[in-house]
Amino acid sequence: MIDVPALGHGIGLRAEHYAAVLSNPPPVDWFEVISDNFMVPGGNPRRVLRAVRERWPVVLHGVSLSLGGTDPLDARYLDELAALAREVEPAIVSDHLCWGGHGGAYAHDLLPLPFTEEALAHVAERVLRVQDRLKRRILVENVSSYVAFTQSTMAEQEFLAALAERADCGLLLDVNNVFVSAHNHGFDARAFIDAIPIGRVGQFHLAGHSTLGALLLDTHDHPVRDEVWALYRQAVARFGAAPTLVEWDDKLPPLARVVEESLRAKAVAAEALAQGRPREAPAREGARG
Amino acid sequence: MAEGPGLAELQRRFFELVTGPEGVARELAARGLPPEALAAIIAGDARASAVERLDVYANMYFFRILDVLRADYPKLVAVLGDGAFHDLATDYLQAHPSRHPSLRFVGAALPGFVAAHAAAARRPWLGELAALEWARVDVFDRADADVLGRDALAGLGPEEFADLRLVPVPACALVPAAFAVEDPWRAVEAGSSPEAPGRAGDGHAILVWRRGLVVHHRAVEGGERRALDLLLAGTTFGALCAALGEALGSDAAAAELAARCLGQWLADELLAGRLT
Repeated sequence: MIDVPALGHGIGLRAEHYAAVLSNPPPVDWFEVISDNFMVPGGNPRRVLRAVRERWPVVLHGVSLSLGGTDPLDARYLDELAALAREVEPAIVSDHLCWGGHGGAYAHDLLPLPFTEEALAHVAERVLRVQDRLKRRILVENVSSYVAFTQSTMAEQEFLAALAERADCGLLLDVNNVFVSAHNHGFDARAFIDAIPIGRVGQFHLAGHSTLGALLLDTHDHPVRDEVWALYRQAVARFGAAPTLVEWDDKLPPLARVVEESLRAKAVAAEALAQGRPREAPAREGARG
Repeated sequence: MAEGPGLAELQRRFFELVTGPEGVARELAARGLPPEALAAIIAGDARASAVERLDVYANMYFFRILDVLRADYPKLVAVLGDGAFHDLATDYLQAHPSRHPSLRFVGAALPGFVAAHAAAARRPWLGELAALEWARVDVFDRADADVLGRDALAGLGPEEFADLRLVPVPACALVPAAFAVEDPWRAVEAGSSPEAPGRAGDGHAILVWRRGLVVHHRAVEGGERRALDLLLAGTTFGALCAALGEALGSDAAAAELAARCLGQWLADELLAGRLT
């Protein structure tokens, strides 16, 4: 079991919205920031982060830990992340179940892993080392994927469940990523969610996606699709009211439109909770995930 | 353990295929492998073949970084045009794959690369224009610092003034430039067509710095360029006067120049640190 902070519903802090956020504070419960964008010495990004943190809870979401990579963990990156976490005191720190480079070069992408025992042992060991360095539990997010490896010996949801157990980490369940990967690989998204252990999910992500031929792409450039809202209802009913973020990164609309999507998530979660109590009680307020 | 390559070998093959310059099929062909060779590690199906699926990553790799380079080098894009910049980025990534976990640094080596690239054959000033653009990117988020104000200097005696240590703010860079590349930069910024800049005078450089949150730049040459070199190397006001005096052959002229530079730098909010 992990403690889940009762944060409510948040949105991502994006540079295009800095001025709007500071001049007319939006009705959101918290902000998620991409850790990497603020691991810089000074200037406007750090100023905005300080101002946002004074008013709202903040969660740190990284894209470069490369938890599944076979290059060594980047000690400098970890140091900078630890320093940022000390300053921001985030409610949550998260990154992805993926790898990001090879041989010292970076793809700047969330690359997929084979779901094998070798990969599981490797990722679990690295998550443990990251948590040890940060002195806190992290959440690991499922990614959208476009390839499946022939050597995989377990399903992604089995891999995630085993990882959470072995590394004693939390999971960030990206509901859109479940939907996109289910479409791309032909598995059942609802069964995926039902196989994720209750008590390990510390946050949800929602986002829009786009199509490329017969595949779906996790592009964060559309409103959340109806099918993803339906999966979100299922997830909230199963896992309870974990903090929920609407991600919107490309073709970014005005701040008010992103906030509107977040308020819709809040309403959908309330409906789902009203229709059926989750099997576990929501977490304590003020806890750290 | 499952059959197939180990995790590190799998990632090596995957990474090589998605970071090649011309897509997965060409990368396979370059290695003498048929598309079916991918079937050993990646499952294709009726929705998309293994090559098509891996190409999703290959395209995302290139276009994500291209977007960042375009954002960091908008003036270079305007001068070259979209197609030529795309080709430049393709060549650049082959020579300089990203070596930092943050995309913030992916374009750091482009100024030197473009200076030696075919794109600069008829425009020998492209590298300097790119260096100006990168300096602006680089100072944008460098460390903040307290600024030395005129008030702090009021009441200093002559000896204290001579011992005044001059320290530039961290968000500051000097870009040497044989061409007046500030001209095409300004033209593009104003929405005009950039023209080839003329050769600049000896000692021409462009000072780039952040004042508050806003990045500025201005051309410098002559005495101020010499003074800025001394400032960036670390100096006191007295040592600055002495060095300029040697260069100019006149203590009076040196004192006048140093005082003028100090006044300008204070106005620019270019100086940081405490009095020592």
